[in-house]
Amino acid sequence: MQDDQQDDGMEDCIDFAALDPSRNELRWTRTMDALVGKALAERRKRLSIEQQLLRWARPVLAVAAGLSFVAWTAGYLASNRAHPISTLENPPALNLANWAANNQIPEPSDLFGTLGGN
Amino acid sequence: MLTHDASADLVHRAQRGEAKAFTGLVQAFLRPAYSIALSVVGRPADAEDIAQEAFLKAFQSLDTCREPERFAAWLFQIVRNRARNLLDSRRLRDVAPEGARILEFVTLPPETAGMRESLLSALADLDVEKREVVLLHDLENWTHNEIAVALDISEVSSRQHLFHARQILRAKLGDEQPKGRHTGSEGNHAR
Repeated sequence: MQDDQQDDGMEDCIDFAALDPSRNELRWTRTMDALVGKALAERRKRLSIEQQLLRWARPVLAVAAGLSFVAWTAGYLASNRAHPISTLENPPALNLANWAANNQIPEPSDLFGTLGGN
Repeated sequence: MLTHDASADLVHRAQRGEAKAFTGLVQAFLRPAYSIALSVVGRPADAEDIAQEAFLKAFQSLDTCREPERFAAWLFQIVRNRARNLLDSRRLRDVAPEGARILEFVTLPPETAGMRESLLSALADLDVEKREVVLLHDLENWTHNEIAVALDISEVSSRQHLFHARQILRAKLGDEQPKGRHTGSEGNHAR
């Protein structure tokens, strides 16, 4: 590396010492220390936000799982309730009317079923 | 300047959060970052601020540095962007720069302040690329190979820029700039 610089004729180099920010060594060292300190502090802050997000992630997922279970159960129950809807196709009033029209005496179980019993 | 491998190692360790790696990167590249900023804005105090801000920005987004062995080139791009933003806002606000510069020189010995003023004035006659090359070479003691990699130019271009920059500066500075190797910034860099 030094050879490379000698090839360039370092004896011709411009003296930029007056523009050297590290001329005041103490000040420059403090500047560097402050910069590193700030960078590390910002990094710690960012990591702490990420850690908080991770800490909240588990309860949030648990709540989401609970909600999805409730929603699934409600849907399942609703689909089960849809079954009696078929009786709506033969509403109790119609059954009763049919029996009356045909002068039939319904079995107690049929009557019970028509009126909503199990 | 650090070798490419050493730079990459420091970047990887800094990405893992090693405090010593942050220190190593700052020690190796804060002054060169200042030189790049100075090439664009022309004011030492602004250049120092920009170099520090750019470093903080670089550390924040260190995970996005795709080529850790070319950390300097990546950092310099952030420095240039910040410096240009400052120039744009300065133009918009139309702030008189001389007042700030005078204040800045108050704390310097008169002979140093005079030389600094002369150097800044002479540097203003160069284009940005020549300023970057001459400052990295003559202030930071970087080799043409290191400059070429960091500035994404050829070594031949680096040599040409340096040659012309020195010619222009010598013509402008005249007797104020004695010939000879200076020692002001030597030994500041781990090689």
